[in-house]
Amino acid sequence: MHILLIEDDTEAARVLVKGLRESGYTVDHAAEGREGLSRALAGKLDLIVTDRMLPHIDGLAIIQQLRRARLATPVLVLSALGTVDDRIRGLKAGGDDYLTKPFAFAELLARIEALLRRHASAAEATILRVADLEFDLLARRVTRAGQEIELTAREQKLLEFLMRREGQVVTRMMLLEGVWDLHFDPQSNLVDVHISRLRQAIDRGAERPLIHTVRGSGYVLKEEEE
Amino acid sequence: MSMKEGRRWGLFNTSAFRMSMGYTLLVTLAVCVTLGSAYLLTQSIIQGDVDLIIDTELRSLENQYVRSGIPGVTDEINLRIDSWGRIGAVYMLADPKFDRLAGNVTNWPFDGAPAEPYPEFRIESIEPGQRSVHPVRASVRRLPNGDWLLVGTDMSQDRRYVRTFQIATLWGIGLSILVAGVAGFSFSFRLARRVGDVTDTCVRIMSGEQGHRLPVVGSSDEFDALAASVNRVLDRLEEQTRTLRATFDSVAHDLRAPLHRLRTRMDAVLRLPALESGIREPVESSLREVDRLQRTLATLLQIALAESGAPLASPAPVDVGELAGELAELFEPVAREQGLTLAARVDHGVIVEGNRQLLAQLITNLLENALKYVPAGGRIDVVVMRLADRAHLIISDNGPGMTAGDRLRAGQPFARVGQRSGLEGSGLGLSLVSAIARLHRARLTLESNDPGLRAVVSLPLSYAEAASTSLSRSISA
Repeated sequence: MHILLIEDDTEAARVLVKGLRESGYTVDHAAEGREGLSRALAGKLDLIVTDRMLPHIDGLAIIQQLRRARLATPVLVLSALGTVDDRIRGLKAGGDDYLTKPFAFAELLARIEALLRRHASAAEATILRVADLEFDLLARRVTRAGQEIELTAREQKLLEFLMRREGQVVTRMMLLEGVWDLHFDPQSNLVDVHISRLRQAIDRGAERPLIHTVRGSGYVLKEEEE
Repeated sequence: MSMKEGRRWGLFNTSAFRMSMGYTLLVTLAVCVTLGSAYLLTQSIIQGDVDLIIDTELRSLENQYVRSGIPGVTDEINLRIDSWGRIGAVYMLADPKFDRLAGNVTNWPFDGAPAEPYPEFRIESIEPGQRSVHPVRASVRRLPNGDWLLVGTDMSQDRRYVRTFQIATLWGIGLSILVAGVAGFSFSFRLARRVGDVTDTCVRIMSGEQGHRLPVVGSSDEFDALAASVNRVLDRLEEQTRTLRATFDSVAHDLRAPLHRLRTRMDAVLRLPALESGIREPVESSLREVDRLQRTLATLLQIALAESGAPLASPAPVDVGELAGELAELFEPVAREQGLTLAARVDHGVIVEGNRQLLAQLITNLLENALKYVPAGGRIDVVVMRLADRAHLIISDNGPGMTAGDRLRAGQPFARVGQRSGLEGSGLGLSLVSAIARLHRARLTLESNDPGLRAVVSLPLSYAEAASTSLSRSISA
């Protein structure tokens, strides 16, 4: 997977590039907007991570140029502004996700993975299946090993979010955004409490738990191999 | 639609309308006095002239009597009745028993001697082909020999003149009232419309359409002058807001960038393979500290931005009831874990104009505040309801509450409240709540819940919503 990082803060960029390479990605780095844009337009990229404020050409302008050139490469916007309006502007310009600096590297990694996978599997499924867990999206019915599991509407939404990202690390922030549409950081351990309730409903008494905690990152729903 | 409606009916309520009605009244009064006194004056002048003529003739006839006795007077009267006498003259000489001796009146018109100096009566004249009745004004003298002498004037001509004048006066008064009324009404209507335009524009600017300006019609009157100078003020304000935002952006950027570098490096350290736990733990706790710093910074920037008076950038309709319901559902398990009861009673479809994320942050901060201070076994209630044209969001608990002084202070920007701030987490939560409330033109009141704290946020409903409320109210009424 080939990623282009456009970031003028060379010190931060160096560490990020190193981290991403260690995670198995091929990473190019552009230190300013013009270079970033020309590389982005050259194509053959799976993902672009761009800073919002760049010398010469602004991050949002790069996205707009890219979309005008009919390139659908997913773009993750990094911003040091982080106001509500700024986020909306970033997504309106054609960005696919938005992350406010400073962020945890694990958060960036999880979002990069989510964007790359989302691009790969856009097909609409009506039944989600992970191991013996089944979610009939039309009937809104959840079963584990044939046993029906009662869930509230919000718990179902949380489970659907996790099942659609089977095997991917999903961070707390991603869950708050995706399930509750909250784009700020509450101080309470809200997500943990809701996950533990969902875990009780799904994994209680099961031989193999499906919901796993990833230390320092978030959660992942997957069938653990032996 | 309802705004326009309200404005039309509000016309009677404008100072312009009252003023122009006052002027109409004044004009009416002035016209009445002028024309009325002209009428009265004319009438009295005409009468004065007539009386003068009568007196003069009486005197000359009396002189005639002195010179040549009754026969002289009789001759003189007959002479005057002749064609060269004045038009409409009436004479009569009668004996003491009021029987006619001479003159052009056949019968004594009064019952004896009249009391008033200028009595009036009517005579019938038979002219060829038609009969007519003439009003006559006269005066009577008694001659030294006991005979009665009457001199009068046919007033029909003068009466016609006065009547015409009267009608003209009444028409004049009526027309000037009409003209003044119509002019006043249209004047106040136009004035109300222009003031209404100003009000509408202000409302739109307040609700976030910063690019809006007052209309300059081009009539270069005082309204255009006013609009132009208000527009200049608005331009300046917009410019300042833009500068302020740019400043905030660069402050945010300059503070976040080093934090970001710091965090990225620490992250990288933690990813090093075979990291000793003696290093890992302090780095991890420093990282948590960086995150707390970042959160405080974000809150401070948000408060500062909200307090700067810059309006909401892109307000949209938000269902506060639904939002509060969702958040209560989100926090309910957390409350239950702490041994608290969290109950929500929210009306749906309570729409306000605002930013969903900021309103969610407001509700979250109030809920987290309650969760932090209410001891196990306590209770938190979330209520959203519509009261008149406002949405009321009430979050109450039965915890320790706050002192009256702290309640007052908590609403102020950047205020830190007594003991509460001693606990972990920034004491800025309530400041942010009050800043977001202010940004939404909402009233935040912290009250005692006896025991506990009750936070009431009263938000103005969105226009469409407020209009439909008043509509349904008027239908049901």
